[in-house]
Amino acid sequence: MIPTHYFLILSAILFTIGVCGVLTRRNGITIFMSIELMVNAVNLTFLAYARQFHQLHGMIFVFFVMAIAAAEAAVGLAIFISLFHHRETIDVDEANLMHW
Amino acid sequence: MAFDTTDIVLSLLKIAIVVGALLQVTPIMVWVERRGSALIQDRVGPNRIGPFGLIQSFADALKFVLKEDFTPGGANKWLFTIAPLFGLLPALTTIAVVPWGRPFLIPDAILYGNVSTIGWALALLLLFLGIIVIFSTVRVSSRGGASKLNIGVGWLLGAALVLGGLGVIAALAGLRGIGGALHIPGGNRIFEPIVADLNVGILLVFALASMGVYGVTMAGWSSNNKYSLFGGIRASAQMISYELSLTLAAVSALLVAGSLRLTDVVAKQTGYFVLFDTVKLPAWNCFSPAMWIAFVVFVVAAFAETNRLPFDFAEAEAELVAGYHTEYSSMKFALFFMSEYIAMATMSALIVTLFLGGWDIPWYNEPPTFFGFLLSALAFVAKVTFMLFVFVWVRWTIPRLKYDILMKAGWKVFLPLAIVNLVIVALFIAKGWI
Amino acid sequence: MLEFIIFFVFAAIAVIFALAVILHRNPVVGALSLVGSFFALAVMYVLLEAPFLAVLQIIVYAGAIMVLFLFVIMLLNLQHVREEHTRPVQQFLGYTGSALFGIAIVYYLAKYAAMQLPNGPFNADARAVGVELFQAYIFPFEMVSILLLAAIVGALLLSGRLPAKTRAAETEVAP
Repeated sequence: MIPTHYFLILSAILFTIGVCGVLTRRNGITIFMSIELMVNAVNLTFLAYARQFHQLHGMIFVFFVMAIAAAEAAVGLAIFISLFHHRETIDVDEANLMHW
Repeated sequence: MAFDTTDIVLSLLKIAIVVGALLQVTPIMVWVERRGSALIQDRVGPNRIGPFGLIQSFADALKFVLKEDFTPGGANKWLFTIAPLFGLLPALTTIAVVPWGRPFLIPDAILYGNVSTIGWALALLLLFLGIIVIFSTVRVSSRGGASKLNIGVGWLLGAALVLGGLGVIAALAGLRGIGGALHIPGGNRIFEPIVADLNVGILLVFALASMGVYGVTMAGWSSNNKYSLFGGIRASAQMISYELSLTLAAVSALLVAGSLRLTDVVAKQTGYFVLFDTVKLPAWNCFSPAMWIAFVVFVVAAFAETNRLPFDFAEAEAELVAGYHTEYSSMKFALFFMSEYIAMATMSALIVTLFLGGWDIPWYNEPPTFFGFLLSALAFVAKVTFMLFVFVWVRWTIPRLKYDILMKAGWKVFLPLAIVNLVIVALFIAKGWI
Repeated sequence: MLEFIIFFVFAAIAVIFALAVILHRNPVVGALSLVGSFFALAVMYVLLEAPFLAVLQIIVYAGAIMVLFLFVIMLLNLQHVREEHTRPVQQFLGYTGSALFGIAIVYYLAKYAAMQLPNGPFNADARAVGVELFQAYIFPFEMVSILLLAAIVGALLLSGRLPAKTRAAETEVAP
């Protein structure tokens, strides 16, 4: 059996990579994909602890997180599509209408 | 979990049998498609290469290998190359969870008596076929008018079959001569004819089937061609829509079995429905009134998932040139071609397992021995062959309707029907009628 | 022993594909790398004795969400977008800040998070998850279905494709 903290370290590495992607990239789709990476890292943590304490609550939570991430991806991509239609670019630095 | 080398050898043997059988499907189905369509359309079909055109598939394969393999200019080379692999992935891997025979007890020692019946039957079959082929070759060559290729192939095939039969007889004689026993280490063990008996069995099928969408989308987009893009988008939208109906229709069969394992689904279908106290109907899911709707929805969704007529808008020969595989040639096109037929075979295997009773032979209780396993495997292959013939039959019978009718039917007709059937099955289970 | 080999191989695959997502400039390559990373994570879930969730991860994430991403990238022709380097200070701060954060977390986890492994089997197949879902968590389950309905309606409204409206200027799809 693999010790739980191995999974926690892997999850931390993936989360860090996701954070780096959100902070440094300007392509909106790439930022969105980094957010999905962060969500998956958290899913891994939930399952690691569910296995550690032999409880199903972690798995149920991952189930709900997956459903909500699906809904969020659909709405987020719809927002990106409408942004693209208005501005012909997906660069998030160009979406600065509130900044004169 | 302790497993030893015999388990590994048996697993490799199972994988070799299953993948080998699947890879033989394409040449056979090409021949069945062309001769079957000719039969339905009242013409002859290919009859030049080999007797009855049986070697046509090898000629096609040779043509594919020898053609020039090019990538269109402006296409994304990487995606263009790996798209056919995504098409092949679901077809070859989802067969891992399908049970194709009855589990039987491998005895500790294989004696002459265990294999003699099968061995003699196989040897006699091979000799019989060889003699028929040689006889027809002699007749054709004496009558004249057949090409040298035909006659040469006929002699080769006949010689191969006769030699194969004689080889089996020699092996049997050798086994008897050894003095009886080939010992298997590890004692009696049960041979489960399923490559991977996962406890989430059928979900793996749905997971890998959704990978097929990537192949179609990437092929259509990376070809730098408007027709390919339209074909690819159409095909992937259709596959995504019908995946829902496929899943929900399969869930009805799973509810009755009470488990996600396909072995449990087949085990539940080995009983009988007793009607009017006299007639014993095999308890296959297609005979149970709670699952008729699911059966129809699953078969229709299987047609849509494999992009076969009446749902082949991806290819749509009259409209889109060849849809998402317009720009593909040589081996990449051969891979798409193969993956379509292998996906057909895998879907047929799933339909047989979920609704037509799997490896169960009706009105006969197979004994849990090698002989019973062979009979059940033959029954499974026969049922899959029947379903494959239904695929070919429907292709050349039903016309292709419009794409928007297809999508509306997928969302507004088949999905509600599948959900309604789910409710009906739940009702039957709650009332104890199943 | 075999479990450790599988763990390290697939952890390496997950990390490498995740790095490809954030470092490669072509979003199509990023999306496909993310699919690869999700497959590797599904293997991790199987190692954590959650086979149902592993298959669900492939069906939902790799099979549906990433298909949606790929559709959007391909139809909006985003693979040729090049990011200009107009904010080097912020990029540098982003890289170093996240690297420090990562190093700190990994260090503290490696030092303090070692726990004793539980013994005994963990029955976490579909039946157990289903029973728990429909008994203790039935209310969130129904709420998630309403949330998915809200997401569908929201996506339809935001992308502007209501059936009654006529669209004046359509963006041409040019491959």
